[in-house]
Amino acid sequence: MTIFKLATLTAVLAASLSAPAQAQTSDKLQEVLERGYLVFGTGSTNPPWHFVDEQNELVGFDVDMGRLVAKALFGDTEAIEFVQQSGDARIPNLATDRVDLTCQFMTVTAERAQQVEFTVPYYREGVGLLLMANGQYADYAALQEAGSDITVAVLQNVYAEEMVHAALPEASVDQYDSVDLMYQALNSNRAQAAATDQSALRWLMVQNPDRYVDAGYGWNPQTYSCAVQPGDQRWLNFVNTVLREGMTGVEFPFYAESFKQWFGAELESPQIGFPVEFK
Amino acid sequence: MNYNFNFNVVWRDWDLLASGLALGLFLAVVSIAIGCVLGLISAFGMVSRHRPLRWLALGYVSAIRNTPILVLILFTYFALPQLGFALDKIQSFIFTLAIYAGAYLAEVFRGGLLAIPKGLREGGLSIGLTETQIKAYIIVPVMMRNVLPSLSNNFISLFKDTSLAAAIAVPELTFYARKINVETFRVIETWMVTSLIYVFTCYLIANLLRRLETRIALPR
Repeated sequence: MTIFKLATLTAVLAASLSAPAQAQTSDKLQEVLERGYLVFGTGSTNPPWHFVDEQNELVGFDVDMGRLVAKALFGDTEAIEFVQQSGDARIPNLATDRVDLTCQFMTVTAERAQQVEFTVPYYREGVGLLLMANGQYADYAALQEAGSDITVAVLQNVYAEEMVHAALPEASVDQYDSVDLMYQALNSNRAQAAATDQSALRWLMVQNPDRYVDAGYGWNPQTYSCAVQPGDQRWLNFVNTVLREGMTGVEFPFYAESFKQWFGAELESPQIGFPVEFK
Repeated sequence: MNYNFNFNVVWRDWDLLASGLALGLFLAVVSIAIGCVLGLISAFGMVSRHRPLRWLALGYVSAIRNTPILVLILFTYFALPQLGFALDKIQSFIFTLAIYAGAYLAEVFRGGLLAIPKGLREGGLSIGLTETQIKAYIIVPVMMRNVLPSLSNNFISLFKDTSLAAAIAVPELTFYARKINVETFRVIETWMVTSLIYVFTCYLIANLLRRLETRIALPR
C-alpha cells in the first residue's frame, strides 16, 4: 500500500515537473527554421512603412525589417510569408500564434508591453513641421518668430492642438479630418506649416523633391519596435540581435539602404571602436 | 445592446457645441441673405427679354446647381488662392454657400415670377409706373408671398449645408462634434446629440418661417 502511494506521488510529481518542461520546448526559432520561411505580420496601407507599390508588391520600411530577419534566418530575403493585418490585429495575431513576428509601426507603450514582448527599437517617430520650399518661412526659428501670424495644419486627433502648441505656442491650428486636406492646406498657403509624423514628412519629401522642406524641429517622441509573443526569450533574443546588428553591425548597409530609400536620409556609419549603443 | 451610454463627456463640452451652432447659424444667415440677392437678380435675368442676360443667368445657375457643394467649397478654399483670390476660411465658406444658395433660390424665384399674371404689370403701366417701379412695388412683393413655402425648404437645406464647412476647418457644430468624437471616442453619444441639435434648430427655423407665411399670406 505504501509502495503504491509512493508510486502515485512520484507519478504526480513527475507530471507536475514535466508540464513546465514541455512549455519550454516550444521553441519559435527552431520552429521557423524547420518551416523554412518566416511568417511576418505587417500592414499594407501606410507608406513609407508598409504599402503595395506599382508592381503590386508589399514594400516599405517595416517590410524591410521583416526581410532583414528572413535574411538572418535563411540567408534569403524572400523566405518570408506576409500576413497583411490591420492595426488592431497586431496584438491578437501574435497572441494566437498566426505570425512569428510583427513589425508594423507599433508604438511601444507600457500597456502593450503587458501583452506582447517588444524587440529593441528600430525607429524613433516624432512630430515634425513640413514647410513649402518656396514659402515665406525657412525653418523652425522663423516659425517661432512669426508667433500668432502663422497657421499650422494638423490631422484632427486627440490633443492635436496641444501637440502643435507644444512647439509653436502662439500659432493658430487648423484641424483637418484627412491627411490629403492637411497637405492641401499647406500647398495653397492656407497653412504655413503642417505638423505631421517625421516619417510621413520624410516620405513626402522623397516623393516630391524640392517641393517641401523640413523645418528642422522634432518633438513628441515615440518608439517603434517589432513585437513577438511573450515567453520565448530565445526567439526575442534572436530578433533583437538581428535588428541591433542591422543598426550597428554587419547588416548596417542593408538597414541604411532601406532607411535612405524610405526616409531619404543618409545614415552615418557606426563608429568603429567603442560600441555606439553603449555610448 | 451591450453598450453603456455616457452623455456626460458630450455635455461637458456643450459650450463648444453652442458656439459651433452659433457660427453655423451666422454662416447660414449671411450666405442666404447674399444668396437671395443673387437669386433674385439671376431670376430676373432668366426671364429677361435680353438673350445675353438670359444666357448669363442660365449659365450661372446650371454650372453651380450641377456641382456638388463640397467640391465648390474645396475649390474656393484651396484652389482660388493659387489663382490669387484668397479669402479666410469663414469668408471663403460664406462666399461659396452664397453662390450656391443664389443658384437654387434663382430657380425658386423664377418659378414665382412665371406665376405672376401679366395683368399685374399691365395694371402698373396703366397707372404710370416705370418697369423698375413695377418690379419693386408689385412683382417682387407678390412673388415673395407665393414662393415663401419653397423658400423655407431651401433655407433649412442651406443651414444643414453649413456642416460641410468642417471640411475646411471652420469651427462650426459638426467640426466640434468631430473634435469631441476623436477625443472621447463616444461616437454614438456625440453624433446623437449633434443630430438632435440640428433637428431642433431646423424645426425652429421651419416654425418661424411658417409663422411668417401665415402673417403675410395673400388674403383669400
